[in-house]
Amino acid sequence: MTVFSSDGSMIIAMPNNSLSPKGLAWLFISIVTITMTVALGVSLSGAWLVLPFAGFEVLAFAYALHHIYLHYGDFERVSLVGNEVVVEKHSYKNSEKFTFQRYWAKVTLRNSIDGTCSIFIGSHGKEVEFGTRYMDNEQRITVARQLKQQLNIVY
Amino acid sequence: MSTATIAHHDEHADHPTGIMRWLTTTNHKDIGTMYLTFSLIMFLVGGCMILGIRAELFQPGLQLMKPEFFNQLIGVHALIMIFAALMPAATGFANWMIPLQIGAPDMALPRLNNWGFWLLPPSAILLTLPFTLALFGIGDGALATGWTFYPPLSIQGGIGVDFAIFAVHLLGISSVLGSINIIVTLFNMRAPGMTLMKMPMFAWGWLITAFLLIATIPVLAGAVTMLLTDRHFGTHFFDAAGGGDPILFQHLFWFFGHPEVYILLLPVWGFIPQILQTFSRKPMYGYKAQVYAFWGIGALSVVVWAHHFFTAGLPVPALLYFMYSTMAISLPLAVLFFCWIKTMWRGSMSFETPMLFTVGWIILFGIGGLTGLVLADVAADAQYHNSYFVVAHFHYTLFAGGIMGIMAGVYYWLPKMTGHMYNEKLGKLHFWLTAISFNLTFIPQFFLGLAGMPRRIPDYALQFAEFNMISSIAAFVLGLSQLIFVYNIISTVRGGQKATDKVWEGAEGLEWTLPSPPPYHSFTEQPVVK
Repeated sequence: MTVFSSDGSMIIAMPNNSLSPKGLAWLFISIVTITMTVALGVSLSGAWLVLPFAGFEVLAFAYALHHIYLHYGDFERVSLVGNEVVVEKHSYKNSEKFTFQRYWAKVTLRNSIDGTCSIFIGSHGKEVEFGTRYMDNEQRITVARQLKQQLNIVY
Repeated sequence: MSTATIAHHDEHADHPTGIMRWLTTTNHKDIGTMYLTFSLIMFLVGGCMILGIRAELFQPGLQLMKPEFFNQLIGVHALIMIFAALMPAATGFANWMIPLQIGAPDMALPRLNNWGFWLLPPSAILLTLPFTLALFGIGDGALATGWTFYPPLSIQGGIGVDFAIFAVHLLGISSVLGSINIIVTLFNMRAPGMTLMKMPMFAWGWLITAFLLIATIPVLAGAVTMLLTDRHFGTHFFDAAGGGDPILFQHLFWFFGHPEVYILLLPVWGFIPQILQTFSRKPMYGYKAQVYAFWGIGALSVVVWAHHFFTAGLPVPALLYFMYSTMAISLPLAVLFFCWIKTMWRGSMSFETPMLFTVGWIILFGIGGLTGLVLADVAADAQYHNSYFVVAHFHYTLFAGGIMGIMAGVYYWLPKMTGHMYNEKLGKLHFWLTAISFNLTFIPQFFLGLAGMPRRIPDYALQFAEFNMISSIAAFVLGLSQLIFVYNIISTVRGGQKATDKVWEGAEGLEWTLPSPPPYHSFTEQPVVK
């Protein structure tokens, strides 16, 4: 999903999480309840070897949900701050920040062979791609237009 | 001064090609295609096995094979059809369609998805390898216990049982990984505005299937591991001579085995109403009722397992409980049947191949359900248990209810997947040949069962000869007619009339808003559902 600030000086692209962190916890609790109720029930009738398999399943689930949780804060952001254009990319522990001088910064929209287009922001022969994830072609075109407009307004 | 580096274009767009694309892919559509292809291959392998069985049963007496080999074919046929044909087909559809239907770019855990698939080929090899090893004098062939592994036979069996136990473990891991992925995807990756009660029925069917798998797979894994330790490590879980209880295995196996039936059927029940509304050109009837019925069936499916062994000597209160609880499943199922029929009622119906398969499916699956009610009756089951009546019943449920439903789904979504229309004439020919030969194969088996012919035997009394002959001839027609299906799929993949984005005039849902075939990455930006 892509969010624009009201004055157009900031654009954030981030994944849509239809489950809240609280919902994630409830999902895990319900999975543990179902799996362990069944496993304990059959263990009581003598089939205790079911328990380790149920345990592995719960661990696998915990790992999967933890992985999802770690990526809740992923985003790509471009902001026009003072004389700078700042592009930030955040994925779990990896954060990248690219800064360009606003006066020199250029926004270009390029088409690739597979029919998708990409936004590149850069200056002085260096550039960074924005909106690689969480955006479709239409939105990239809108974002590129808005960025160009914002850069033109000031200068 | 800028501190930027040159960044590359979307890493996913530069996906590998050739064999590496398929080995390393994390794309939901590629993995879905692999599941569906694997399923089709194993369907043909399992089908060839049963044709061997039907050839042997063409006449009374032993003609083609030894009884041991006959038993091995029976057991491996069932395991292949259930675990390697039907389940992967449903999982293939899940991979292809769930992200498209909920507006997600991919599955939530794509690498897990890849591992889930690549566990399947080794397990199929484990199931069939004992046949080959036996040719070289190693072991005595595949498992000859039927797919149920009942002890004490399975404790005494050859290495085929061990191979099958490890195959079941791999299949179980694959199913659990797939279920985790589906649950997380459906809960966390729905498009904005798509609440749970706006999810497509297919997604609902799969969500409940995934929960059933999560609940039951550890029990199966534990049960077959206990069997393994009984066979090789001196334990006596199921060995009566050592103080164990063989009936405990039956409880454990069917605690998994009965929900497994719904695991196979719920995904099909999910897309059947979607096909009905498409070709009836009117909205689905009773969406909420169907969702609640799914939950009802899912919940009941884990508390009715012992109806599979009424004759094992259960106490009377247990017999009564399992009889009534089993019959109670017919209530939510009746709700589903009502909704399916009402969706068609006064619709502007047309009968393209997917619709033909769906309408045929409703009738034939209905027969499977009604004959199941007969078997749920403790008194009647005493006569029908272990007879050909049971064989006919579960083939109406799993072939008609499962595989014919999957075929409806294939014809429905194939143009979307490939971008080409299939050959409609061949599709209709395939339907009619399948429907007629299927009935001619299995209706005689109802009569054979009622007359007392037991299942899993290579020889039989002379009085059963005519019905067996009819059943065998029809089985070969049924088997050969599937070659039309294979040809139609291959020719559609290779070319044909271009499919439109919507493909079907009455189609509803997010998957039809994408081009046919959909781009490598389906929804980079999630659509908003109103």
